[in-house]
Amino acid sequence: MSKKRRIVSVVVFAAILLVILTGIVLLGKPAPRPESLSETMRDAVLHESMKVSLFGLMDVNPGLISAFAVTGILTVFALICRIFVIPRFKEIPGKFQLVLETLVDLFRNLAKSNSPEKNRVLSAYVFTAGVYIFVGTMFELFGFQAVTTSGASISLPAPLADINGAIAMGCLSYLFILVGGIANNGWHGFLGTIKEFSLPLSMSFRLFGALLSGALVTELVYYTMALSFIVPVLVGVLFTLLHALIQAYVLTLLVSMFYGEVSEKKLQKPKRRKKKQIKEETTDNNTITPEVSK
Amino acid sequence: MPLNIDWQQILLHVLNFTILFAVMYFFLFKPVKDFMEKREASYQKKHDDAKKALEDAEKTKAEYESKIAAAEEEISVMKSEAGAKTAEERNRVLEQTRADAQNILETARKRGEIEHDKIIAEAQKEIADIVTTATEKIVLSADVKKSYDEFLKSAEGNLKNE
Repeated sequence: MSKKRRIVSVVVFAAILLVILTGIVLLGKPAPRPESLSETMRDAVLHESMKVSLFGLMDVNPGLISAFAVTGILTVFALICRIFVIPRFKEIPGKFQLVLETLVDLFRNLAKSNSPEKNRVLSAYVFTAGVYIFVGTMFELFGFQAVTTSGASISLPAPLADINGAIAMGCLSYLFILVGGIANNGWHGFLGTIKEFSLPLSMSFRLFGALLSGALVTELVYYTMALSFIVPVLVGVLFTLLHALIQAYVLTLLVSMFYGEVSEKKLQKPKRRKKKQIKEETTDNNTITPEVSK
Repeated sequence: MPLNIDWQQILLHVLNFTILFAVMYFFLFKPVKDFMEKREASYQKKHDDAKKALEDAEKTKAEYESKIAAAEEEISVMKSEAGAKTAEERNRVLEQTRADAQNILETARKRGEIEHDKIIAEAQKEIADIVTTATEKIVLSADVKKSYDEFLKSAEGNLKNE
């Protein structure tokens, strides 16, 4: 009896849901958009019309506002941790302490394994960059709203989906590697970094491309009303989560690898000595061989 | 600029990230790292202390074991020495006893011989005396038969006395 009742109630519940869903899909009219799809796409890449005012000083891309917001969130989080959590750290860590320790340890190990000699500053940089990229990309999911200069509402994108943000991140990482190379290895470090001149470009555009394409796909999906049920759970959440993780990992890995390569102390090869030795050996052989032949 | 790249905004992004770096380093990364390093150092110290204590214990144990072995050896040496001494003492006492017994036996035998000789000598003297007395009587009485009887009687009497 109870089993039958349960089945009936489940079926009824499913039917009600189905009716509501079809009603929404059939009756709902998409809200009037300020832009057409192609305009939205174009604007996502170029940010021509959708600008946000930065405290009335200048008009900036929404990505910069996102970047400031992410920094604000992370600052508040770090301060809370510093004031309330870290002083109460225990020898045997609790759950939250374990999360923090794992995070710090993850990036420290990444830096240590790729740059075994010098990694104090690198681990801090990699930690910050990884957290920034991850949180910045996840930030997109929350859909915080901002008002554009034209008065329309826009949901804030990932900071690195803005080309300026991506270039800033890529060039800063390259500069960091350059400074590390010079500080640890002098002239050799400088040359080693300059040799990889395409690195800032590739790092910038990798970030920009990955995050922008994610944003574009999500935008495309959201644009169609009928697709805005269930599908966004996969497309929005999972894709965002995935490329947040991947991009954070890739950039930190690249930075630590190049940093390790550039700051590695190279053994100076005793070239002259070798040549001399070889010469001596050959002359010895020459002097010996005639005697042997005699 | 192509793609609407704006250097001012790039610099703003850089500034933003630099601030974030400082904040994350001083408020989150460094304290956590310091705490972990301190804990690691304390555990390393504990580990080293434990290792040292264990080594000391091992050393002491080895020392005591060698001491015990030496003591056991000493004991066994002493035991064997004592055994040898006891055996020697016993042999000595036995030898002594045997010698004493031999002495006593010898003395007794000598005394016995002396006694025997003495008795025989006394008997011979007495016999001689009897013979003299009898001869004297026979000679004096001239009664041979009587004298002979007399002689037998006195000899008998002498024997009885003895």
